[in-house]
Amino acid sequence: MPSPIIEATGIQKYYGDYRALTDISLSVANGEFLALVGPSGCGKTSLLKILAGFEDLSGGSLTIDGRDMAGVPASARPTRMVFQKLALFPHKTVAENIGFPLKLAKRPAAEIDAAVRHMIELMRLKESYLTRFPHELSGGEQQRVALARSMVSQPPVLLLDEPMSALDAKLKKSLQAELKHLHRHVGTSFVHVTHDLEEAMMLADRICVMRAGQIVQLGAPAEIYYRPADAFVAGFIGDTNLLPARLTPEGAGLRFDCDALDCAAPMLAPGQLAPGLEQGGEALLMIRPEMLRLLAPGETAEATIEGEVAEFFIRGASIQYRVAPSGGGAEIVMDLPGTSVLPAQAGDAVRLGLTLSDIFAVRP
Amino acid sequence: MAMQDKSWRDGALQLSTLPLLVIFAAFFVIPLGMTALLSFQGTQYYRLVWTWDLDIWRDVFGQWHYWRIMWRTLVMALVCTALTTVLAVPIAYAMINRLSKWSHHITLLMVFAFLTDAVLKTFGWVLFLDRSGVLNGMLAGLGFGPGAVDVLFSPTATMIGMVYNLLPYTIFTTALSMARIDRDLVLASYDAGATRLRTFFEVTLPLARPGILAGAVLVFVLALGVFLEPKVMGGGTSPMAAELIRQSFETRVNWPLGAALTIVLIVIGALVLAAAGGLAAIRMRRSKA
Repeated sequence: MPSPIIEATGIQKYYGDYRALTDISLSVANGEFLALVGPSGCGKTSLLKILAGFEDLSGGSLTIDGRDMAGVPASARPTRMVFQKLALFPHKTVAENIGFPLKLAKRPAAEIDAAVRHMIELMRLKESYLTRFPHELSGGEQQRVALARSMVSQPPVLLLDEPMSALDAKLKKSLQAELKHLHRHVGTSFVHVTHDLEEAMMLADRICVMRAGQIVQLGAPAEIYYRPADAFVAGFIGDTNLLPARLTPEGAGLRFDCDALDCAAPMLAPGQLAPGLEQGGEALLMIRPEMLRLLAPGETAEATIEGEVAEFFIRGASIQYRVAPSGGGAEIVMDLPGTSVLPAQAGDAVRLGLTLSDIFAVRP
Repeated sequence: MAMQDKSWRDGALQLSTLPLLVIFAAFFVIPLGMTALLSFQGTQYYRLVWTWDLDIWRDVFGQWHYWRIMWRTLVMALVCTALTTVLAVPIAYAMINRLSKWSHHITLLMVFAFLTDAVLKTFGWVLFLDRSGVLNGMLAGLGFGPGAVDVLFSPTATMIGMVYNLLPYTIFTTALSMARIDRDLVLASYDAGATRLRTFFEVTLPLARPGILAGAVLVFVLALGVFLEPKVMGGGTSPMAAELIRQSFETRVNWPLGAALTIVLIVIGALVLAAAGGLAAIRMRRSKA
C-alpha cells in the first residue's frame, strides 16, 4: 500500500455557529484519484479549501506530503488548485499564466519556457496560443490552460473544484477522458470535487460521498454503486428503485417481506445488507434499473413484479421503462439494452424479473 | 476583439443623439470657439476692441512671466497627480481588502469630506497649518519650538491643499476597480506560490490599472484648473494658471488675454493627456482587463 499523501484527522470547520464540517477523517494515497461528491452545501468545497489553505481549520489536524499544514499559508503548500471558474489571469498571456508558478519559484527563464512548452504539448494546445490572452481562447481551451498552470510545477497534489461544471455535455465528456489520461500519465494525486456522481465514478479510484458536513461513505466506485451505505447514497445517482420492506433474521440470512415483489423464497444473504441491518428491521431494497429484465410469458425468475408500462424513453444505448406495479406503490424503473424493435409499448401489461442476489438492502 | 458595431449607421439612433449633440455644441464647442476668436482681439480703456490681430498671442508667448506660471501649473498638476496616485492605491487597497468590514463607514466619511465645500476645507487647513495654528500648538505642547512647522503660504502648502482636495477622486476610481477583481484570481496567485506583496504587484495592481488611470486623468485635469489652493494656502506668492486667467478677466479686464491664456492651458492639458493615453495604449494594446 503506497504511503498517504494527505492525512486528515478529525477535521472540524465552523463558520460562526454553522458547522460546515464535522469530524472528517480521510487519507489519500500517493497517486490516487479521489472524488469528493455530495449535494451543494455538503461541505465538499469547504474541505477542498481547507486542503488548499484558503480556509483555516476549526479543529483536527492535516498532514500533506509528510508536513503538518497548521499555519502553512496557501502559497507554501504542496497543492495546486484548478478553480471552478478557472481564475486565469486576464492580463497575462497563456504562456505567462502557465509559467506563473515557476516564475514565482524563481526558476531560470529557459527552464520555464521548456516546461510551458511541455505542458502545451501535454494538454494538446497549439503553440501559437502561447502569446494569446485567455479571453481569446474557447472554454475548453481555457480549461486546459488552467490545468496546465496547476500542473506545470509538478505538485504532489492537484485539487479540482468542479472545473467542468460550466462546460457543455459533449466537451465535458472529452475533457473527463483527458483528465483520467492525464492522471495516469503524471502520477499526481488528484482530489476532485463534483456534485456529479456519474463523473466521479468515471474518474476516481475512490469516492468520498458527503452530506451535511460528514462523510457518508468512502469507497471504490463499484462499492458506492452496488453497496451504498444508506438510502441517500443509493438514491444519489440515476433513477434507483427503493422498495420498502421488513427484514427478519432466519437461519444464516434474513427473510424479507416486500409487497412489491412476488417471491417464492424471499431471503437475503448477510453480504446484501448495509451496516446496521444485521438484526433486521425496516429497510429499503435497492434494485438498480439495469438489474431488471422483461419476462416472456411463462418465463420465471427468483422475484417478479407485475405491472403496466406507464412510459418509456429511448436513450440510445438503453431504453428506460417506467412501470406502474399492479399492486400499487411507486413506479418501477427498468433499463433494457437498446434495440430497434421495442420489447413493450406504453399501456402493455408486463412482468419484470430479477435475481435475488442483485438486491441490496439499505436503511430507510 | 474589435466589435462589429454598426450602430452609427442607424438613422433613428442618430436622431435620438441629436439633443445631446445640440447641448454639447451649445455649451461646449461654441463657447470654446468664441474664446478662441476672442484671443485675436484687443482692449483699450477696459473695453474690448475688435482688432483681429496677433498682438495678444505675441504678448502671451513673449512674456517670461506667463511661461513661468504655465510651467509651474504643469509641474504642480503632474506632481499632484503622482502624489494622489501613490497615496490612493494603498488607501483603496486597504479599504477593499484589509478593512473591508469598515469600508462602508470609510466611504461614508470620505463622501462627507468630499462634499464639504472646498473653501471651508481649505481654510480649515490654513487654521491647522498656521504658525500659531492647531498643528504648531500641539507640537509646542510636545516640546517643539514655536512655529516648528512653517509651510503655510508656500508651494508646499498649495500642494498639500491640492492633494487633499483631489485625493478622493483617485481613491474612489481605484477602489471601484479593485472591488471588481475576482477574489479567485487573488487566491489563484496565492495558490501558485505568490506572497501577498507579490500578488499585489502581479495581480491586483495590473487589474486595477483602468481605475488608477481614470483617477489620474481626473486629478490632472482638475489640478490644472485649481485657483483656491494657490490663493488661500499658497498665499498668492506663486500663482497658478487659473488665478492668472481670473485676474486677466476680472482685475485687468483684459478679456482677449484671458481667452488666450485659457486656450494655452487647454492645449497643455490636451497634449499631456494625449501623450499619456498613447503610452497607456501601447502597454495595453493587446491585453484586456
